[in-house]
Amino acid sequence: MDRKCVTRLLTTLLLVISAWCRVTAQEVALPSASNSVKFAAIGDAGSGSQEQYDVANQMTRFHTKFPFDRVIMLGDNIYGGQGPSDLVKKFSQPYKALLDSGVKFYASLGNHDDPANNQYPLWNMGGQMYYTYSTKNVRFFALDSNKVDQKELTWLENALKSAQEEWKICYFHHPLYSDGGTHGSSVNVRVLFEPLFVTYGVNVVFAGHDHIYERLTPQKGIYYFVEGAAGELRKGDTKRSAMTAKAFDQDQSFMLVEIDGNLLSFQAISRTGTTVDSGTIQRQVR
Amino acid sequence: MSRHKRIALRISGFVVDYLLALPIGCVAALVWANTFPDSYYRLAQAIAFAVNDVGMVFFLALITKEVAEATVPGGALHPWRRAALPVAAALGGVVVSIVCYLAFTHNVGEHMLEGGWVAACAIDIPGSYVIARMIFGRHPAVPFLLLLTISADAIGLACVALIHPVGDAHPVIGLGLMAFAIGLAAGLRRGGVKNFWPYLVGPGTLSWFALFMGGVHPALALVPIIPFFPHGRHDRGLLVEPAPQAHDTLTLFERCWRLPVEGVLFLFGLVNAGVPLHGLEVGLWAIPIAAMARPIGIVAAAGGAIAAGLHLPARVGWRELLVVGCTASIGLVFALFFAAAVMPLGPLLLQMKMGALVTIAGGGLAFAAARLLRVGRFAR
Repeated sequence: MDRKCVTRLLTTLLLVISAWCRVTAQEVALPSASNSVKFAAIGDAGSGSQEQYDVANQMTRFHTKFPFDRVIMLGDNIYGGQGPSDLVKKFSQPYKALLDSGVKFYASLGNHDDPANNQYPLWNMGGQMYYTYSTKNVRFFALDSNKVDQKELTWLENALKSAQEEWKICYFHHPLYSDGGTHGSSVNVRVLFEPLFVTYGVNVVFAGHDHIYERLTPQKGIYYFVEGAAGELRKGDTKRSAMTAKAFDQDQSFMLVEIDGNLLSFQAISRTGTTVDSGTIQRQVR
Repeated sequence: MSRHKRIALRISGFVVDYLLALPIGCVAALVWANTFPDSYYRLAQAIAFAVNDVGMVFFLALITKEVAEATVPGGALHPWRRAALPVAAALGGVVVSIVCYLAFTHNVGEHMLEGGWVAACAIDIPGSYVIARMIFGRHPAVPFLLLLTISADAIGLACVALIHPVGDAHPVIGLGLMAFAIGLAAGLRRGGVKNFWPYLVGPGTLSWFALFMGGVHPALALVPIIPFFPHGRHDRGLLVEPAPQAHDTLTLFERCWRLPVEGVLFLFGLVNAGVPLHGLEVGLWAIPIAAMARPIGIVAAAGGAIAAGLHLPARVGWRELLVVGCTASIGLVFALFFAAAVMPLGPLLLQMKMGALVTIAGGGLAFAAARLLRVGRFAR
């Protein structure tokens, strides 16, 4: 076999491997068990840009293989104008296919959102800035990290105390821990929320605000995710530190999450459909 | 004695103390919050109520004392109609500031900040007074500025009291308690009680609980009580050191509480000025932009009032008025106070506080305007 032939063969082999990797990277990396809780997470999505629509299309594509029934929204759901036409362009239009197939969106609000949008029926906030709901063995707490008053803290303490579900998941806009270079950890919110999370056994926390994807090493026994790049993006904004478990800041992204018994599986997917992070979390027993 | 020394001696010790205590607290807070944020925010949030809702009662009481004294013969507010033009100018400044604040937050998409518009009304009384004295010396523009700042802050305090309830409001109980407190203060005054402690312990405490129960910011507790304190027959001027021989109740109150208030102001700076120096949103510029636009409102409203028949004080022309407007763009302690009063804890409050601190640049703006317009010390 001459050298030319060997080069051709190796090139073909590399192309095949690359294509195979790309295909497998676009696959669902979650168990997709029949009776599990399945949801998606998006933050800082509402730019109305082509990138937001691309992410929404990927979510729709993955929904056919991984039929999540809800999406948690981590704030800054609408940027700029907040009128009815903006809600169409930056929310109901990009996620139309998901909405049509019965997926429910549960929002928390960010600093760019109009507080009055807690009345928007498709965000299921019931006119509240913070609220709780549950499905199977999971209880979700959508919080307001913009303005944290004593009323909210008292409500949260009572809600966490009385929650009977095995999994307690909190989500809001400002991350308690983040390696985002632009904003980083919101320490002033952390000192308010974290003692309650630790005391009442919150398992996982999702936030946005920094326009990157990041999974952090557990902090005081709690798993933290930053997913603030479902529409906006700050390329290369991650300032990696000892608490960075995995970060992705090269493209827009969203998350898929599945909870089955004591196991939470997660997958972070880029705008092009590539899996950028995945793994499992064993429920902490406290 | 040099001219500057004479000015310094005539400026109230309260103002001098203010100039020392507050900045030290602010700088300490900024350093601490940016080096050990966890411990800073834990402490600041733990003592915020004691400082902002209890300690600041005495700071606002000292400001109210100045206003109460200004209503006696010789005072800047005697007779009341002297205040008409500064009040009109303040109203113009407040309206323009609020409009600019809301327009800015709307345009940059910081919709959550829109609820903090009250902080756009704030003018720092002692801070702007000191800058005005440095520019004008003893000049009719200074009392004009003080009346203007007091009026603007009074509008802001009224908005805080009426629009932003604190906790669960029980207005009927609050009103009842307040009526009792005022009645008691009037009784003490009529009974010839000269010692200020009975006024503080009885009506003052009742008034604090009345406001707290009524959902109004309790730091205003002594504002309705101070006017009942017996005071001198003549006033030496706003924020001017009282005569050494003065022994009226209000003067004794000021002498007793000046030092504790210095401590309160240090703690106020420490609790409220700790903001991260990076990572804040563009919304932090809302208060500074509103403050920088304030001179336009002040000059326009004064122009309207003059057209309606009011008169500027002697030796105060349009150039002086514009410099006064620029001096009134310092928000500092009042902007911090209003921000903390209307915005719950969280990142939005940090943005507003940073904006309040940035308004200190209004002092530079005033000096630049004075130099440009050849006003006050730059006249020759």
